[in-house]
Amino acid sequence: MRTVLFLLLAALAPAQALAANQVTLDNHVFVERVSTDAAGKQKILLEEPKVVVPGDRLVFVLNYRNAGAQPADRFVITNPMPSAVRFADAGDTRPLVSVDGGKQWGLLSDLSVPMTDGTRRAAQPADVTHIRWAFRDPIPVGGTGKLMFRGVVR
Amino acid sequence: MMMIAPVGGAKHRLLPSCSIIALLAALALPILAEAAGTRAGSTISNTASASFDTGGGTTTVDSNRVDLLVDEVLDVTVDSSNPADVPTTPGATGQVLTFSVTNNGNGVEAFGLTTIANAGGDNYDPVVTQTYLDNGDGIFDASADTLYTPGANDPSLDPDQSITVFVLATTPGTVVDGNRGIVSLVAAARTGTGDPGRSFAGQGEGGGDAVVGSTGADGTDAGAFVVSAATVTLVKSAVVTNSLGTADPIPGASITYTIVATVAGSGSVSGLAITDNIPADTSYAPGSITLGGSGLSDAADADAGDYNGSRINVMLGTVAGGQTRTVTFRTQID
Repeated sequence: MRTVLFLLLAALAPAQALAANQVTLDNHVFVERVSTDAAGKQKILLEEPKVVVPGDRLVFVLNYRNAGAQPADRFVITNPMPSAVRFADAGDTRPLVSVDGGKQWGLLSDLSVPMTDGTRRAAQPADVTHIRWAFRDPIPVGGTGKLMFRGVVR
Repeated sequence: MMMIAPVGGAKHRLLPSCSIIALLAALALPILAEAAGTRAGSTISNTASASFDTGGGTTTVDSNRVDLLVDEVLDVTVDSSNPADVPTTPGATGQVLTFSVTNNGNGVEAFGLTTIANAGGDNYDPVVTQTYLDNGDGIFDASADTLYTPGANDPSLDPDQSITVFVLATTPGTVVDGNRGIVSLVAAARTGTGDPGRSFAGQGEGGGDAVVGSTGADGTDAGAFVVSAATVTLVKSAVVTNSLGTADPIPGASITYTIVATVAGSGSVSGLAITDNIPADTSYAPGSITLGGSGLSDAADADAGDYNGSRINVMLGTVAGGQTRTVTFRTQID
């Protein structure tokens, strides 16, 4: 019995260590602050906030990197929306979304939400519970990239 | 701390299941309006995960977690609850204007209340005597509602909570029909007010800062009284007839008195009565009282007129501005 356990641990440990070294995913959240200069020109600054208020526009940035020795295939990044943040858009990064807690995925325009009277209505950005990017091609060794989406503090 | 975030699209090709059309559709949808928003003091946490396969099955890694504390936003609105000007009369006391104060912020906040009655734009300044906090039924009742004392019992409201506030005023005796008097109620967050974005460090609910919201953390709305008064003018005339066919007031001549009551103004008068003593050396002609051309009995009964041996009396009741009432009676010279 003890032997089997040891074997299992031995089999798991290197894989985890390897995985941790293989791909890194770095998460940053910025808040968009609009400032107007003396000439009346508006500038959007992105700050890394410690505190936010309802209505603040947040930019979530995910940096990924394949630091391992093997290409990472079937690469999928998933970001559950914090419940206090309403999804706004994902720029041109074209994610799949879920509006039911991650059970079903699709384009927002293809999804619907059940109503109390039994009918369904078209899903809106505010319904999004999860965002997902699924990559067609493997991430090559040393490959990096950046994904982003915007949300508004509810 | 300020930095420009490098934001760009995916460097690597995504699965072709997504389309730019979907994104445009998503952007075109309106942003849903939120009320008070996320409660002050709560934490927003974000963690993403990546799954992939390097040949040995699926592996998942989590990103770092980013935590953001939600600050308290100070926002309040005041709305007049009177759909139209409230009618009042010269010298009237305890005239009530009703307002609603709503905490639009995301934390519990106390609000100080003040009134402004001399801001102009009207004909007179109502004299504000008291402010009351409603007990929840929306109806003013001095015995059930709470007299407001600034600083002592400032109403504390949860996010999205409203309270009804009654402002009591006296109407000066000098006002005339049609005059308007405006009273504004101002509610200001006790934590502080100012330009949107002004921050009060550490004073927010839940340990964060308190930040002035788009309302400036104070709100105001105006209610108005309109003087709805009426005046009564009485004009009395007499016509003498006698057996000679002349207008001479000789003994035995008959005198017909006509009293016309004219009510003017936008209001009405209530309990209006016309009383006239029968002059000395004349005798009342029994059964001669008329109102609007219709005869009235002399007895104090269901109809509006009576004669009690020394005077006639006609009860006109409530008469609105713009109306007239005509009363006649006859006497005979002794």
